[in-house]
Amino acid sequence: MELEEMQTVWSQMSDQLEQQQKLTDKIIIDMTQQKFKNRFSTLSTYEIIGAIICFVAAVVIVLNLDKMNTWYLMMASILSILSLVVMPILSLRSLFGMKNLNLTTDSYKDTLVKFIKKKKQMLLVQQLGAVYSVILMWLVVPVFMMAFNNKDFFQTEKSTGLLIFYTAITIGIIIFARWGYGCYKSITARAEADLQELESTQV
Amino acid sequence: MHIEQAFTKIIKENEGIMYKVTRLYTNNKDDQKDLYQEVVYNLWKGFKTFRGDAKVSTWMYRIALNTAVFYSKKKKKRGYKVPLDGVILVQETYDPVLEQRLKILYASIKHLKDIDKGIIFLFLEGRKYDEIAGITGLTTSNVGTRMARIKDKLKKEIIKK
Repeated sequence: MELEEMQTVWSQMSDQLEQQQKLTDKIIIDMTQQKFKNRFSTLSTYEIIGAIICFVAAVVIVLNLDKMNTWYLMMASILSILSLVVMPILSLRSLFGMKNLNLTTDSYKDTLVKFIKKKKQMLLVQQLGAVYSVILMWLVVPVFMMAFNNKDFFQTEKSTGLLIFYTAITIGIIIFARWGYGCYKSITARAEADLQELESTQV
Repeated sequence: MHIEQAFTKIIKENEGIMYKVTRLYTNNKDDQKDLYQEVVYNLWKGFKTFRGDAKVSTWMYRIALNTAVFYSKKKKKRGYKVPLDGVILVQETYDPVLEQRLKILYASIKHLKDIDKGIIFLFLEGRKYDEIAGITGLTTSNVGTRMARIKDKLKKEIIKK
């Protein structure tokens, strides 16, 4: 099929489509209303729930700071609070950044460029979050053990079962993070190539 | 004329544009309806600030293409869905030969990169290079260069089928 033929086929389709007006005023208005209602129900539900859980955990640690009687438990508490507050904010910010792209005034190229940049940022935050979750687990466990059981994690005897559990979780998260990082590298490499191609079109 | 009436009039007059864009960027009817609704919603959002500086069709092409590219990328990642009740698409009642040729054409265009997909779509819609440049944000000369490459790619794709 040559280009001229493609144009002919396309215009034949366009002519036929023009003769079949199916939309009514009610359907059009319903579409805008339904979409509007759905915007709130689908707005990053999981991320918002996750952030609330993190913030609650941070508040719990703050309320129990006076129980942290050694420098390392105090250090673990402060680092836990910081990460429980900062990581969800970064994650939500990157997600809202994606959602807030202006689709109504930007050009097609600008939308693509902004989308790719925001996607790269979001993937980076997700990767950082996955890696940091391993560190956070080791920080939070001693803090909560002191807060709720009044026991120093580093000075109590640990059962073999508990150690196996922590090791398994750590290995699991590391494997997951490594797999995620592989995906991240390949997606960002493609995104980077697309971005370079688009940005090199400023003739 | 009331803003809602003006909007529905424009949508009805140009529903073919939305049908073609949504078919180009999706692979099944459900996704097409979903994207169609998303396009109408974004057009409605943009309509409140649309002052008529650009042609209605240019404005529609820009928003429909932006929504389509955002939707197709986001969907792969988030599996996002909205209810489809009440969304009706134009029915295809083409003759079988035309439909077969359209399938080949759509399938070939879907292999192109997003930006090229948008350019060839606008070209097939009969837009001039400077108009395509205005909608896509590329320069006119770049649209020309890209068109030459797109033609080659499409030829190869169509020969394969």
